[in-house]
Amino acid sequence: MMGMLLSGYRISMIIFAVTLVGSIPLGMLVALGRLSKFKPLSLLMQLFISVLRGTPLMLQMFAVSFMPYYVFGLKTDANFPMIAVLISFVINYAAYFAEIYRSGIQSIPRGQYEAAEVLGYSSRQTFQRIVLPQVVKRVLPAMGNEVVTLVKDTSLAFSLGVLEMFTQARAIVTSQRTMAAFAVAALIYWVTCLIIEYIMRRIEKKLDYYHD
Amino acid sequence: MTNAEKHDARASRHQIPVPDASVSQILGLPAVYVKGARKSFSGREVLHDVSLSIARGEVVSVIGPSGAGKSTLLRCLTLLDTFDAGELYYGSLRVTERDENGRASYSKDASAKARMQFGIVFQNYNLFPHFTVMRNVCDAPIAVQGRDPAKVEAEAKQILERLGLAEHAEKVPNQLSGGQQQRVAIARALAMHPKVLYFDEATSALDPRLTADMRRIIRELAADGMAIGIVTHEMGFARDVSDRVAFLLDGRIVEEGPAEEVMENPTDARVREFLATAED
Repeated sequence: MMGMLLSGYRISMIIFAVTLVGSIPLGMLVALGRLSKFKPLSLLMQLFISVLRGTPLMLQMFAVSFMPYYVFGLKTDANFPMIAVLISFVINYAAYFAEIYRSGIQSIPRGQYEAAEVLGYSSRQTFQRIVLPQVVKRVLPAMGNEVVTLVKDTSLAFSLGVLEMFTQARAIVTSQRTMAAFAVAALIYWVTCLIIEYIMRRIEKKLDYYHD
Repeated sequence: MTNAEKHDARASRHQIPVPDASVSQILGLPAVYVKGARKSFSGREVLHDVSLSIARGEVVSVIGPSGAGKSTLLRCLTLLDTFDAGELYYGSLRVTERDENGRASYSKDASAKARMQFGIVFQNYNLFPHFTVMRNVCDAPIAVQGRDPAKVEAEAKQILERLGLAEHAEKVPNQLSGGQQQRVAIARALAMHPKVLYFDEATSALDPRLTADMRRIIRELAADGMAIGIVTHEMGFARDVSDRVAFLLDGRIVEEGPAEEVMENPTDARVREFLATAED
């Protein structure tokens, strides 16, 4: 039982890690597009965020998974469900992160931009040196929430038949007629979240050297 | 030919900015000079034909009641906003050009060069909270002006020493008192080697002792040749620190001259009235 659960856990953690690595920077690009003065881009990003936050992630996974067949008439191989999961997770979480970043960026006082402007910083330097580091500190608590949610959201990959931990647990429960596998899986999810909470607290503490 | 016209003639001959500050010294150009400045917000004119100059080593205060246009004038002088019309010079550098409609236009290049001519100490300082005092002072000279980090840091240490901040170099702004933060803001501006230093409400947050310190610091900077522009509604401080004051009322400079003269014997009735109520 533990062997199956742990191999599922490995897949869950791959989904988790790839989603973070992809959506953290992608979300920043979406947020910057959303805040752009170029109206069409801003509206497009607003639509992107609205659709992805306003529809179920599971439905988005199905959409990505069936798109090659229905739109392009392509047959997909056995690996494709996992790829569809990764793509839809990255895009979905990018939309959530983008809104968190946007509120963080907009919470930086105007005076910071004015001080930077008078000192001659370019807008790129202002963002990189002055705004972004302060945004990181401000969005950390909200990001922590999303990251913990993501740990549990990986179980949605079950619906595409990806062999992550929840899928494995369910298979064990069905074949062995005991709920023990579910209990163990729940414990593993929980411990994972505890570790993440600990890491987030460490980072927050590290950035606690200043207040504004 | 009036002085202003002479100045124009000289300045237009030197439209190509001369990097050497001594040129403007030789020509006797003011460190900053604005002529015929106008500014409106949604149809309401807040600056009408304002002209003002500050020479090297001179402390000039712009005083007047709230809403007179002091802040707008300062924002336009520091290029955080733009004049609708008028001419703005920093030394021999002409910042504004007249477009075909007679409005002021700003080129990116001239604005960027002008920004290296002045610094400002904001009313609430606007220090970068995530940088140490040292980094607040050194970051722009290194990142913007591309100067040698070791030299910038050595100079920053001297500036902090001079302002009594040496022991606070590795602290972050929120560990400092308001008066100390203001001095960090001065240090940050000085590290850029400005010719003109502006203060927005220099003493509004300071107790009497700190106000006296600030007066001493400003006079010392002026003695070193810095042009100082102060915007304030605190008459006492303006009188003590300034060589010259300009009284701004409803977007016009209604009275201008040596501090004592304007404050003791104003000719304009509205200034007399304002000063009388300000003393109460």
